[in-house]
Amino acid sequence: MPDFSPTQYAVPLFVVAVLAEMIWAKFRAPEAYEPKDTLVSLAFGLGSTVAGALLGGFALALFIKAYEYRIFDFGPEWWTVWWAWPVCFVLDDLKYYWVHRAGHRIRWMWASHVNHHSSQHYNLSTALRQTWTGMFTFGFLFAVPLVLLGFHPAMIAICGGFNLIYQFWIHTEAIKRMPAWFEAVMNTPSHHRVHHATNPRYLDRNYAGVFIVWDRMFGTFTPEVDDEKIRYGIVKQLGSFNLLWAVFHEWIGMLADIARAPWRHKLSYLLREPGWSHDGSRETSDMIRAKWQARTGAQAAPLASSVADRNAIAEAREAF
Amino acid sequence: MDLLVQTAGSLAAILALAGLAWWMKLGGTPRLESEDAVRHAAGEVEDGFDPVTWSWDAEGAGALARDAEGRIMVIRRHGNRFAGRILGPAAQAQASGGTLVVDPGERRFGTLSLALSDAQAWAAAINRIDGRQDA
Repeated sequence: MPDFSPTQYAVPLFVVAVLAEMIWAKFRAPEAYEPKDTLVSLAFGLGSTVAGALLGGFALALFIKAYEYRIFDFGPEWWTVWWAWPVCFVLDDLKYYWVHRAGHRIRWMWASHVNHHSSQHYNLSTALRQTWTGMFTFGFLFAVPLVLLGFHPAMIAICGGFNLIYQFWIHTEAIKRMPAWFEAVMNTPSHHRVHHATNPRYLDRNYAGVFIVWDRMFGTFTPEVDDEKIRYGIVKQLGSFNLLWAVFHEWIGMLADIARAPWRHKLSYLLREPGWSHDGSRETSDMIRAKWQARTGAQAAPLASSVADRNAIAEAREAF
Repeated sequence: MDLLVQTAGSLAAILALAGLAWWMKLGGTPRLESEDAVRHAAGEVEDGFDPVTWSWDAEGAGALARDAEGRIMVIRRHGNRFAGRILGPAAQAQASGGTLVVDPGERRFGTLSLALSDAQAWAAAINRIDGRQDA
């Protein structure tokens, strides 16, 4: 059985690439980096690795147990079934799309995923701003169907590692557009800038990991508009470089909301979209976009018509 | 043991990269020193926020803006970007001479000290916020 973690081998590449982008920034866009922000992003990356090593065992044990009940069996030397690798990679990326979408549309999941979006910058160090608390969500359960299909947990982990490595390079403003054929199929810096933007037209769009086709298929794709400056981060910017606050702020906010809410609304603060409130005192991304559209008369993404979109998590479909 | 070695190595790389960003003087210091700058920053804090009155800090490190609904927004520099809050009833302000200290009522956001020509008027307006803002 292969004992291989692609991300471990990629770490030196990450360091060199961040260094190269800093040199680019020095001459072309010094504002693209900010030392304290960079330090927080990189500390997030380190903490995430440690948290994964300490807490990942639970998910692994679950996957190994689930693997006993697999529908298809690739045999004792499953890693030699060559075609299973690309199939697993594509299905894992589809899984990523949905777990990522849930990460934006369910506050419990957002409490963890918000970490990745908490920087007001968008550079390669932002890619390493990974959560410490993913194991306290149910995101890992999205991989169970793959295990039940017969993909070994190690194969899924390796494919997931390559997926993560792919996503590293798209966190940059140094690349404007890739060739049209590439932009059509793959996730790119342009598509992912949209995902990290807080401009109303871009909120909760482009969830893809590697293949942007999932967003096109499920109605969540929005292209980058050249004449609108992107602002990055979260709707309510933290305004703090305190690492621990950045890690846990949304958990603290969510638990405080649950504690304060009337009983019949408590579960909604856990499972509904970020920004939802029982008294309408806050705004969800859909509300912000609707206000922006009413104010400007602008059109956002066209209404999706896919079957999957009718089953969207937490009513992600546009209401216009 | 492996994890410890990797963690130590990663920590060293992190500090080196952050130090390098500082040494290369990346970032810069944007200032709020014009109506346009305040409007732009306010629109970033809350999309559509349209100031009708405003004041900016003498050093350009922050600003206050009020919209037609009477809502008051405080904006301050955060790194080389800006962050802000619409002030609520928990906000407090104290004016001393030309210096205004604003506590938005959110500990992690922190208090701000702004050098303003109209500090007293802003302090009075902020201390009047009771959740029923109007023009």
